[in-house]
Amino acid sequence: MNEDQDKLIAELVEKGLAGDMEPINEIEDRVLRSKAKAALVKAKRSAKPQETEDHVKQVSDKSSIDDKSLSENLNENIGEMVNEKFPGSLVNENTETHIQLTPDHWFEIAGWLKSEPSLSFDSLQCQTGIDIGENTLEARYNLHSMKHNHCTEIRISVSINKPVIPSVEQIWRIADWFERETYDMLGIEFSDHRDLRRILLPDDWEGWPLRKDYQVQETYHGIEVPKMKEGWE
Amino acid sequence: MGILEHRFQDNVIVEKLDKLLSWSRSTSPWFFQFGTACCAIEMMAAAASRHDLMRIGMIPRSSPRQADVMIVAGTVTMKMALRVKKLYEQMADPKYVVAMGSCATSGGPYWQHGYHVLKGVDIVIPVDVYVPGCPPRPEALIEGLLKLQEQILNERPLTRKMA
Ligand code: SF4
Repeated sequence: MNEDQDKLIAELVEKGLAGDMEPINEIEDRVLRSKAKAALVKAKRSAKPQETEDHVKQVSDKSSIDDKSLSENLNENIGEMVNEKFPGSLVNENTETHIQLTPDHWFEIAGWLKSEPSLSFDSLQCQTGIDIGENTLEARYNLHSMKHNHCTEIRISVSINKPVIPSVEQIWRIADWFERETYDMLGIEFSDHRDLRRILLPDDWEGWPLRKDYQVQETYHGIEVPKMKEGWE
Repeated sequence: MGILEHRFQDNVIVEKLDKLLSWSRSTSPWFFQFGTACCAIEMMAAAASRHDLMRIGMIPRSSPRQADVMIVAGTVTMKMALRVKKLYEQMADPKYVVAMGSCATSGGPYWQHGYHVLKGVDIVIPVDVYVPGCPPRPEALIEGLLKLQEQILNERPLTRKMA
C-alpha cells in the first residue's frame, strides 16, 4: 500500500512540476492530497536552489580567484615598479597588505600612480592619519582605480618632531579637505598644500587633538575649556 | 481696578498698561531659527505641523534682530560659542534664552571628554529655561516654552524694581 502511495505521489509530483495540478486536486483522500502537495512544493524548492547555488558558486569562485591574484600581484607589482622608478622610496619590501613609502618622492610617486595606464589610480577614496606611538605619525591613503577596479593602500610614516609630507592635493583634488583634516587632528604638515588651514577646530586652537600626548588647553578666549561645574555627577 | 471698573460700556476692558505689555509679549515670543546639532531636528519637529509651535504664538525668525527668544538647540562647540554669544548680543531687548537638550545645559555626552565642547551654554550667555533630554521630545520643548511664557507674563516692564 505504502509503495503504491509513493509511486502515485511521485507521478503526481511529476505532473505538477509540468504544470498540471488537476490530478492532485482531484484526490479524494485528504491525507494523500496534502502529502502530494507537500512533496510537490519540496520538489519545486529543491529544483530551484540548485540552479542558483551553482550560479552563485561559480560567480564567487571566479571573483575570489580574480580578486586574490589581482590584489596580491597588484601590491607586489606596484612595490617592484616603485623600487625601480624611485629607488629608496620603498620602506618595506613586504607589500602584502599595504605599501610603505618614505615621504621624499611622494608627490612624484602619486602623480605616477595616477597617470600610469596599467594602474590609473584615479580616485583617492580616503586619506587619514594616525599616531602610532613611539614618536611616529602616519598618513594613510586608500587609492582606487575606477578603470581597472583595483585598490591599494599607501602608508607614509614621519617623525613627530618633523611631520612633513608632500601634499597630493594638486593630484587628487579631494585630498584638499582630507589633508586639512589630518593636519587639524594630528598636525602633519602637507607641504605645498595651497590652503592648509584647520578645517574643524577654530583657527587659533592650540595643539593636535588626536596625538597621544595631547593636553587640552585651559582656556579659549576666556572661556574655560575643561569641565568645571563640580558636583553634578 | 477699583474706581475705573464698570464705568464704561461692556465692551471696554480696563487693564494696567504694564500687564497688557507683558501679556502681549508673552503670547508672541518669536524665536530665532538656528540649530547647532541633533537637538535642532526636534526643534524643527516642534515647529512643524504636528506639534505646531505657531499655535502658542511662536514663529521662527531667521534674523537675530527680529527674534525675542533664542533656542540653543544642540551641542555648542568652542568655535560656535563665540558666535552664539555674538548672535545673542545682536538680539534686541527684551531677549530670552532656552537651553535645549543636555548638551546646551551641561555639555551632555561630551561632559567628560569633549575637549572642544562648551560645558553648558550658560557659561557664555544667561539662560532662562533649561529643557533636559537627549534630545528632548517636542512636547518637552513646548513645556519649556510655556514656562518661559509664564515667566514673561509675570514680568512688569514698566514697574520700577525695588532695590
Ligand atoms: S543633547 Fe543629545 S540630541 Fe541634543 S545636541 Fe546633545 S547629543 Fe544631540
